Amino acid sequence: MLFYFASDADGGFAAPTLRVTQGDQLTVHVTNGASEPHGFSIPGAAGATIPSIAPGETLSATFTIPNGGSYFYLDPVNHPVFQVLGLHGVMVVAPAEPTTPAGVITPYSRDRQTLGANAVFESLGTNSPQMPDKFPGDPWIAEFGNPAPKHERIWVFNSIDPKFNLMAELGQPIDSTEFVETNLPRYFTLNGLSGFDASFDERTIPKGFEGEPSLLRVLNAGLPTFSPHIHGNHIFELSTTNATGEVVVNENVIERDTWTMAPGDRKDVLLPFDRPSDIPDAAWPPFEEPFPLKYPMHCHQEISQTAGGGNYPQGLITDWELEGPLSARS
Amino acid sequence: MSDADFDGTSVGEPVGFDEFGCNPYAKNPDTPDFLKPDVENTRQFYGFDLDLPGGEEIEIWSFRDPDARKGKTWPGPAIRVTAGQIVHTKVKANKGTHTIHLHGMDPTTFNDGVGHTSFEVNGNYIYQYQPMNPGTYFYHCHKNTTLHFEMGMYGLLLVDPVEGPGYALRAGVPVKYDVEANWVPDDLDPVWHELHHNAGLCGEDVGLNDFNPKYFVISGVPNNRTMKSRKVRVDATLGDKILVRVLAAAYGVTQVKIGLDAEVINVDGRVLGGPLAPWSQPFTIPADETFELTGAQRYDMLIDANEVGDFNVKFTFLDWIRRQVQANGAGVAETRIRVKA
Repeated sequence: MLFYFASDADGGFAAPTLRVTQGDQLTVHVTNGASEPHGFSIPGAAGATIPSIAPGETLSATFTIPNGGSYFYLDPVNHPVFQVLGLHGVMVVAPAEPTTPAGVITPYSRDRQTLGANAVFESLGTNSPQMPDKFPGDPWIAEFGNPAPKHERIWVFNSIDPKFNLMAELGQPIDSTEFVETNLPRYFTLNGLSGFDASFDERTIPKGFEGEPSLLRVLNAGLPTFSPHIHGNHIFELSTTNATGEVVVNENVIERDTWTMAPGDRKDVLLPFDRPSDIPDAAWPPFEEPFPLKYPMHCHQEISQTAGGGNYPQGLITDWELEGPLSARS
Repeated sequence: MSDADFDGTSVGEPVGFDEFGCNPYAKNPDTPDFLKPDVENTRQFYGFDLDLPGGEEIEIWSFRDPDARKGKTWPGPAIRVTAGQIVHTKVKANKGTHTIHLHGMDPTTFNDGVGHTSFEVNGNYIYQYQPMNPGTYFYHCHKNTTLHFEMGMYGLLLVDPVEGPGYALRAGVPVKYDVEANWVPDDLDPVWHELHHNAGLCGEDVGLNDFNPKYFVISGVPNNRTMKSRKVRVDATLGDKILVRVLAAAYGVTQVKIGLDAEVINVDGRVLGGPLAPWSQPFTIPADETFELTGAQRYDMLIDANEVGDFNVKFTFLDWIRRQVQANGAGVAETRIRVKA
């Protein structure tokens, strides 16, 4: 058994992404369709908490939407039990003032921007104000109003130990301490999928040509500390959160091929869609090897690459695709 | 140019559920877009029994260099190249299929060593790449990786700046160092070391989600020998500059504590700061302050030996869910940096 948040506004799809704008007032109405109390909370958004909702009851929370960035909405009741059993979704907040002083658009509002993160966005594209030769192609293209943006992907990680899902199905109470202390996950998911399914899911796979950078909003709803590793490009680690859940843009933006996702972490990273740096100059673009070039992103705590105690690599993995060189863009 | 042929690989054929996991394409094709290399090396599977504290032995799988006189090591012999060289790394598979993934290198898909996007090697294949960014990388087998990486199938891949070995880039500027230390902390679950190459691949539950490490090593040296082993301990002279590279190979959170100030100058093969990385800068971890790495991350650090003495270095291995020290508190490996006058 899995729990999930559904929205009656868009046909009841599981865990709809809320796309909102910083500074607006938002009212969320939550109906508890289960047989035990649940709640609602958005860590990092003051006032966005409903501590408990009785079965069948509908309660509301009205709050001012916080700073631009990536947020979880989740059930804080019996933390982290119901969150891990599925009661979580993502809220994407468009910044109030997204441009840097140089006029380049970022996912963060001016008063939260850092020199480090701004240097990344100002270096992207052929006409970049910072480093015109470094990342030829486009700057990052923000699509704040677009429900299915091309230059952004959301990746939600989770872990499943089915013995607790069975307890939930049988209506047995689950003790949160026991849940953590005895949890032995058998499945590891990315956007609710794993392995083969996640690697061919169009909503999950970043796709684009050289010079079409993409923002990855990476959130860990699960219990393990994951260590996602991306092949083909390094990412820029743009943001993290502080103890109260506020979005913090990094001052020192480090390029990594492997980053850390502790439980509850929300980190934005930028996948530059750069020409893979170690393809020989004399073989770029490849003459014989065809596009798209496909590269995996998988967690390097390799335990997470399993399903049901084996079945490598049917765990927390997906691919991304470099569709062609800059010169082949239409 | 080679006779490129993508038939029978994930590049040239559809990838269904079976080819993705249980039954990936296996082949030994020519390298596409083949160039004349500046450097060539070969790695081949080999296994041995490792003596552990308390007398237990477990099987380790590593890579050997068949062209070297002392080519059987664990971790596998380091591949050391200079930025800008065209490198050919040949894998010679035996005992079933394997691959070499050049972790942190960004090559083409065919040279990336991942079965479900390319192929597993059942004879030999030459991986072609031209490392452009100095720093610390590693190579490892990417078949049934959960098991093969745990079994030890990895080695360092070091890319020196054009100034050559003995130099590291700090914020884009070459800095000469006198002593180099490479630490690869890893944790071993002996139960997993009884499994066969293809364990679990086609539906069996072989417990590869249940990891209970009992033994702890640094660079292949069990933790009862890491204080003394010349492979691990560092001997420096007052005034030396030490380059330390750490690759976290454990499945969990590795805490690291070094008894001297350490300046991180490179992460995952990317120089921090300087004109080519205006978004970042080197940062210093004060002496005896703990920092954490998770599976496959690398830090390159500069340490100034500006004080005489023995300085402790401690690696603590934590469970990935509960953050408890592994093996009921035994998950620790220590060494030291000795600075002499």
